Amino acid sequence: MSLARTLAVARRIVAGFRRDHRSLALVVVVPIVITALLAWVIRGSIPGTTRVAIGNQAGVTGDRMIAILRAAAPPVGAAGGGTNGVEIELVGDGPAARDRVKAGSAQVAVILPADLAAAAAGGMVTLTVVTQGTDPAVDSQAVAALQQLVIRAAGSMGSLGVPPAGAGAVVGPGTAAPVLPTIRIAHETIFLSPDADTLNVMAPVFLGYFAYFFVFILTGISFLRERMGGTLERLLATPVSRLEIVLGYGLGFGLLATVQVVLMTAFTLGRVPVPAIGPIGEWGVGLGISSAGSPILAFVVVLLLAIGAVNLGIFLSTFARTELQIVQFIPIVIVPQGLLSGIFWPVERLPALLQAVAHVLPVTYAVDALRAIMLRGDGLGDPGLALDVAVLALVAALFVMLASLTIKRDIA
Amino acid sequence: MSSATTTASDTRQPAVSARALVKAFGLIRAVDGIDLSLAPGRIYGLLGPNGSGKTTLIRLLIGLARPTSGEARILGTPMPSRAALARIGYMPQGEAIYPDLSVAENLAFFAALQGTRDGAAIERVLDLIELGGRRNTPAANLSGGMRRRLSLACALVHQPPVVFLDEPTVGVDPALRVQFWAHFRALAAAGTTIVVASHVMDEADRCDELLFVRAGQVIAHGTGASLRAEAGTDDLETAFLRFSGLGPDGQPLPGLTASGS
Repeated sequence: MSLARTLAVARRIVAGFRRDHRSLALVVVVPIVITALLAWVIRGSIPGTTRVAIGNQAGVTGDRMIAILRAAAPPVGAAGGGTNGVEIELVGDGPAARDRVKAGSAQVAVILPADLAAAAAGGMVTLTVVTQGTDPAVDSQAVAALQQLVIRAAGSMGSLGVPPAGAGAVVGPGTAAPVLPTIRIAHETIFLSPDADTLNVMAPVFLGYFAYFFVFILTGISFLRERMGGTLERLLATPVSRLEIVLGYGLGFGLLATVQVVLMTAFTLGRVPVPAIGPIGEWGVGLGISSAGSPILAFVVVLLLAIGAVNLGIFLSTFARTELQIVQFIPIVIVPQGLLSGIFWPVERLPALLQAVAHVLPVTYAVDALRAIMLRGDGLGDPGLALDVAVLALVAALFVMLASLTIKRDIA
Repeated sequence: MSSATTTASDTRQPAVSARALVKAFGLIRAVDGIDLSLAPGRIYGLLGPNGSGKTTLIRLLIGLARPTSGEARILGTPMPSRAALARIGYMPQGEAIYPDLSVAENLAFFAALQGTRDGAAIERVLDLIELGGRRNTPAANLSGGMRRRLSLACALVHQPPVVFLDEPTVGVDPALRVQFWAHFRALAAAGTTIVVASHVMDEADRCDELLFVRAGQVIAHGTGASLRAEAGTDDLETAFLRFSGLGPDGQPLPGLTASGS
């Protein structure tokens, strides 16, 4: 064991790193940048206003309850320190309130039952609360905001069970003090079910994200080898055109992505029970998540995203000389898309500037499309989904052009 | 079409020609005004040290790069032309084969890009490079010499009438080198024009004609015998130095390295 030789090896590594600016940046700068981005996403997120649509089926008593709730609601806009403002709007009856939630213009619908007055007099009020159900995190936040509001308003609810003045009721000495009713919240959802967990929301999205990630890495490395190994030079000395090369790559890796997505979709949607064997209990293979919409449409979305990724890989391979440098693109290209594209945080809650960034990331549109298809059951007739698919197709076409431009040859 | 530097006696259309060909990279002129006219069915040696512009000249001639000025033609077609590439075979300096594909798959791939669907063409080059028994071996598992042979076969699989070989025998053992030159001779006899770039002077005598390339210019062109006579020496390397000394810029010679450097 020689210290001199050990030190020589160490010196060689340091000397190499000193010239490898990208690796230095990867080690020193990138973690800070990504952590800062994460902090920005979490801390900077807009304290959401919880928009409540109330469907009043309880007539005058309902109106009084709405007034009580409004009085107790934290003001919108002035929200700070993490408390969310609550905006209450009377929209008509129960179905009308549900429609608001379904359309996304309100996060929560509260339906005041026709028997509100009687129930309040009886000491037990049940409010039906309806959320979308497509994002448990957002839903539980909205329901929690509502619960806080109800608790804050509870002290004023005593008058609900008392018939309105002028209806012959006499309030005077000897009358029993108004009963403070217990308020129970019954949570319903438009899509999925109230006990859907985060996995139900994540799994469809991961289909797209993983395809994007792996296809990008594989194409990037494969095309880098083509450039470095001299085979690209040799290809260009044949009558093949740049577009033919790029489309061929798209087809080849598209097939690979197809195999991956088909298997992932089967694993996500299917569930094969495995009986208990000896000490191993009963279990199952697959997540058994149900898709509300067409799995084929979801597949098309992922494929469009993958074609974009193939060509992004070809494009970025221009800026790499080694396979390590392709891997170094992961924290730059893949991680920020994961943070900003709405996989973990809804895009509309991001700080304004990051929202703008999110809207130019192709993964954002794929995430939105996959949720629309698999959770809400949207089809191409829905404008939101149609827009997503159009954007993804456009991005794929743009990347194909970009990729073929980076293949340098003076003849097209 | 004729050019001042034509030495071949035949009057057919030249296989390769260039007129005032210039390629500048910023201030550096990698190819600095080259005129040439190469007759069909002969083997030409482009000789010069590393960095003299041989590879850039080949890339201009086959249209992989666009000249800053001047014109290159292959079989009468102005380059760059994608269609003309089907009549050109090109073996680049590196191995430029796919290590994860087998011998036969590599050949089939390049044959397909050249529009050759003929399975017999692949068998023919497999016989030529004597790798028929290894057709299913991944190229990564071949020895260095075998990979060079495969690379050569990929350039020849579509039977091109004009072939450019950039340093084809670098790292090739002597026995294989003899085999390569026997192939080249047979191809030339069948009418193929072959341009071999090399910085190894002792290969030069296997060529029909030599072009000395230095600093982006052709400083001499002729048969080995005529160049020796003109320079007044039996040694081609010395002849190269003499011609360099006579160069138009008249600068002192840079340290020209020995063969195989």
